Amino acid sequence: MSDDVLLRATDVVKSFASRRRVKGIRSLNTAVNGVSLEVKRGETLGIVGESGCGKSTLARCLVQLLPVTSGHVEFNGVELTTLSRRQLRPHRREMQLVFQDPYASLNPRRTVGDIVADPMRINKIGSDAEINARVRELFQTVGLDPTALRRYPHEFSGGQRQRIGIARSLSLNPSLVVADEPVSALDVSVQAQVLNLMTDLQDEFKLTYLFIAHDLGVVRHVSDRVGVMYLGEIVELGEAEALYETPLHPYTEALLSVVPELNDTDAPRRERIIISGDVPDPADRPTGCSFHPRCPVATDLCTTEKPDFVELRPGRFVACHHPRNLEAVAPIT
Amino acid sequence: MLRFIAKRLASAILVMFTISVLVFLIFFATPGVNPASRIAGRTASPAVLRQVSKEFGLNRPLPIRYGLMMYHLFIKQDLTSYVNIGDRIIPQITAAAPITLSLIFGAVVIWLLVGISGGVIAAKNKGKFVDPLVMFFGIAAISIPVYWLGEMVSLVTQGGLHNSIFAWVPNGGYVSLTQNPWQWALHLFFPWLTLASLYAGIYARVLRGELINNMNEDYIRTARAKGLSERRILYRHALRCSLISIVSLFGLDVGVLVGGAALLTEVVFGLQGVGWLTYQGLQNLDLPLIMGCVMYGAFFVVLASAAVDVIYAYIDPRIRVVA
Amino acid sequence: MSPEETPTDAVLSVRDLSVSFATRQGVVRAVDGLSFDVGTKEVLGIVGESGSGKSVAMYSMLGLVRDANVSISGSVRFEGREILGLSDTEMQSVRGGEVGMIFQDPMTALTPVYTVGWQIVEQLRAHNDMTKKAAYVRATELLAEVGIPDPKSRVNHYPHEFSGGMRQRVVIAMALSCNPKLLIADEPTTALDVTTQAQILDLMGRLQAIHGSSIVIITHDMGVIAEIAHRVVVMYAGRPAEIGPELDVVRSARHPYTWGLLGAVPRADVKTRRLVTIPGNAVSPLEVPTGCAFAPRCQYRMDICAERPPLRGARDHLDACWLSDEQRLEIRSTVTVRGES
Repeated sequence: MSDDVLLRATDVVKSFASRRRVKGIRSLNTAVNGVSLEVKRGETLGIVGESGCGKSTLARCLVQLLPVTSGHVEFNGVELTTLSRRQLRPHRREMQLVFQDPYASLNPRRTVGDIVADPMRINKIGSDAEINARVRELFQTVGLDPTALRRYPHEFSGGQRQRIGIARSLSLNPSLVVADEPVSALDVSVQAQVLNLMTDLQDEFKLTYLFIAHDLGVVRHVSDRVGVMYLGEIVELGEAEALYETPLHPYTEALLSVVPELNDTDAPRRERIIISGDVPDPADRPTGCSFHPRCPVATDLCTTEKPDFVELRPGRFVACHHPRNLEAVAPIT
Repeated sequence: MLRFIAKRLASAILVMFTISVLVFLIFFATPGVNPASRIAGRTASPAVLRQVSKEFGLNRPLPIRYGLMMYHLFIKQDLTSYVNIGDRIIPQITAAAPITLSLIFGAVVIWLLVGISGGVIAAKNKGKFVDPLVMFFGIAAISIPVYWLGEMVSLVTQGGLHNSIFAWVPNGGYVSLTQNPWQWALHLFFPWLTLASLYAGIYARVLRGELINNMNEDYIRTARAKGLSERRILYRHALRCSLISIVSLFGLDVGVLVGGAALLTEVVFGLQGVGWLTYQGLQNLDLPLIMGCVMYGAFFVVLASAAVDVIYAYIDPRIRVVA
Repeated sequence: MSPEETPTDAVLSVRDLSVSFATRQGVVRAVDGLSFDVGTKEVLGIVGESGSGKSVAMYSMLGLVRDANVSISGSVRFEGREILGLSDTEMQSVRGGEVGMIFQDPMTALTPVYTVGWQIVEQLRAHNDMTKKAAYVRATELLAEVGIPDPKSRVNHYPHEFSGGMRQRVVIAMALSCNPKLLIADEPTTALDVTTQAQILDLMGRLQAIHGSSIVIITHDMGVIAEIAHRVVVMYAGRPAEIGPELDVVRSARHPYTWGLLGAVPRADVKTRRLVTIPGNAVSPLEVPTGCAFAPRCQYRMDICAERPPLRGARDHLDACWLSDEQRLEIRSTVTVRGES
């Protein structure tokens, strides 16, 4: 494993027993269906996808909050999937989560100071005085008033709570922060504040982010590289700018074409590709390529054979039999 | 549907088995107690005790004794009392069951009518004086113990006023429906009211809470946006959805009552129903009678919960998919 | 048009609408002096963050704010007829009949215990003299029109048997069932995924072209406004900050709050380097300043901002800000107010 890869997932699968029966057989709900990716040190890898695509489940599998059904997760060169709870503990410290709902993810009965101090107390890092000083410092770092330490979460606005959640995630000096929809519950003006804060913190503490969101604009803004998920699989992964400018997978192309745009320039709007229907049930997965029932360019091949996830262009991985816009991207030499 | 019935039947048998074992063990396995002396009386001579032990099979191992009792209860159906020697249990229960069912039937009608209208009236008038008034009566009805209320009702209707305004109230007892429907209703009228008051209070309060919650749901806003009348919104939308939680409450209440939980009302009014029979069995420590009553009760509780599931699936389409 | 004159072709004209709630902590002015018109076949967007009063404004004019402590003042004319202060029964024929509504969360907007057909039929029969059979036929047609596959059997399905996007189509079918003159859509796509959002916006646009109803769309998303609206009202703290044609507001926004709102959105279509932020949090509705409501968060605050700015401007592009045209030009030439690099 090269030194610049912090986290590597290989063929990660996560299935849940489904209550539904498909054709009489109790089916498996495969939320994550064979995902491989690498997160490089210091970068932000964005994972974008619509609801139910398995992006949150993937995040939980990567940090071992959920046991994987199969596949491997290496963190700092250590295979995590075979470790016991106790053995995991030192690695857990290095990987922290920021959650979507700033209202539900903070214990309403503890003061915000305690909430931020708890990870340090549990891991017995430093004396009480040291922890106290560190909490104050963290509050200042995330732009909160340290005199508010004794207050309770309900006394803060949504944006401030998300800052508290970020302060908590930073308290153990993690190398990886996994942020699951950290700004989707916030108003746009507050969302911008939190996103700017996260960018600043990344520079200051040399953090690596795995940033999960459904908002394509937010993901483009924060990410160095982006993975697009559909029905439990990553269908396209590449450098953020290149991927947004010239999507190769038909799903990515359709997704980007329908994001509402501000008509603030005379540049013509992208041709909208409205894909019909709904995302299929992950317990009743289509044969061949998972996207083929909704794909505008699908052929017979797509209904029978699952496309491989391959590097079609430098740094750009795509799982598609009929990639789009290939002529617009320089090939691998 | 077949799967559903089979599943329910299996669970009924499991529940009845567990309960019967428990009752049996409490009776026989309590240390320092000689069941033969319980049956024959504390002053019985050793010879009589031996005789009794042999006759009731008390000298055989516990599992065999249990097996014998179940065999006599369910298969030969000739299990007899330990106390009133020779009395068969099953005919006693089949004689008592119609009385209990009559009592509960009438009470159910009253408490549903009063409870549902009370809940609707309170919810409709939330914030006005009617709401707390209805809720006060509700909490009062819940708090008054049934035996006290029953005794009071008896005292008033059978006491000094019996010769004037309450002359039409019978002196207690029971007349079967097939014999004389009018007398049947007359005899049960006050027992019905007594039993219904507690449940009417509970249902009114629960329904009020459910209605108020449902009236804040998004679909009520949609219904208003559709231009429906407030009346229609309340009855066709909010009440319909609120009844879902009432049904589960109702099924269990009826099951438990039919199974013998109306004991206090029956005893107070001298109605010889299943509750009263259980009370007799407990007083005399008459195991076969207790066992018979408990089995009967358990059966109805399980039956009621199965009925609730069926009704549930009917009134809440979201359940249907899973079932 | 300026808000003082009532244009003849306005389907809805709102003048000086104020909505306040008496609470234990004091009076909350949720909407404060809102005026706008919606023309025939026009799509008007009302944009603002949570607490800006955008939904309360629309709900209150239709009698959907059912709070004993609310007081509503001003004038709301629907097709020339004053509808503020109508009785419950009179309002019921306006709601659902002449004004249809679509809500944010399609998952909870339908009564769970009735089939979607039943619910559409209920509305049809509340406003039209129709047999049950004819209403069911019409309901099936409506479902087909909003693009629900196999409408003949789907009409007998329950809400939980539909996906979110399909449920929103049902709600739209219901809202359009009585051919309303005006459709009010409250965050109709916020709870939906981007591909579903595209389907729904596309559908709304097509249906509007066919039926010719006017639409008021309430949203927090400037992008949605740009996709569908002809004119925009930007609201802040219950007051209109800026009103104008969509293109004018997006390309030459005049109010500092609109600048912030436009610059704060990370874009999927162009690279954004650093987001423009509006410092602080939305003003508490209990402590709205007497002057300009945005002044405490505004970096161009002046002394005069202690006084409430009037809504004024050239032709149809109005704003409530004390900055002069010269000051605005200067600010816009030196500062990136939009998020592009």
